[in-house]
Amino acid sequence: MIPDVPPESRLEKMRFYRRLLYGCLAVGVSGFLVAEALEYPLVAVTIYWGGLLGMLAVKFGTSVRLFDERDRALERRASNVTIYLVAGALIVAAPAVFALEATGGYEAPPTVSSILFGFSAMFLLWGAVFLVLRYRP
Amino acid sequence: MKNDIRRRREASDLSQADLAEAVGVTRQTINAIERDRYDPSIELAFKLALFFDCHIEEIFDPDVDLE
Repeated sequence: MIPDVPPESRLEKMRFYRRLLYGCLAVGVSGFLVAEALEYPLVAVTIYWGGLLGMLAVKFGTSVRLFDERDRALERRASNVTIYLVAGALIVAAPAVFALEATGGYEAPPTVSSILFGFSAMFLLWGAVFLVLRYRP
Repeated sequence: MKNDIRRRREASDLSQADLAEAVGVTRQTINAIERDRYDPSIELAFKLALFFDCHIEEIFDPDVDLE
């Protein structure tokens, strides 16, 4: 529940604005799903973008720091684990699929090929970002 | 990294939330540091040392050697 009045202490303010931020996201996503189910696609997208704009307004509109160093460390760790899992799957699956296709024993459905190319593109982007961060002045 | 934050905090009669408020992090972060599940940044370690009026190495024991 979001309290009616923003409280005073820094931790309580942080909690208040975090709830507000996640609340905007929840309203945006659930509103999108409901409106889509009711076949109002334009309303769905409007609600979704409204939720995202609300999130951005909370994030950049308050001077309160919403996340501390441990939150950021957890985020980095989760990203690392995700990247390693996807890299592992890609390293094993991609050559196998291409080899099987080349020998004519198997034809990957378009979805599988799209996923493999999508992941490959993601790693190219990761490499580019890594190089920029590594060599930035 | 081992630390004695819990002992110092309790000796000062503070809650985790009080300490978190004082050094600018969440209560969960203080809890994770006390349970050796999170090593704080240098900046936060300095803040904690400043708060308890001592040196960083009096609070944290890195348990490493230069071999």
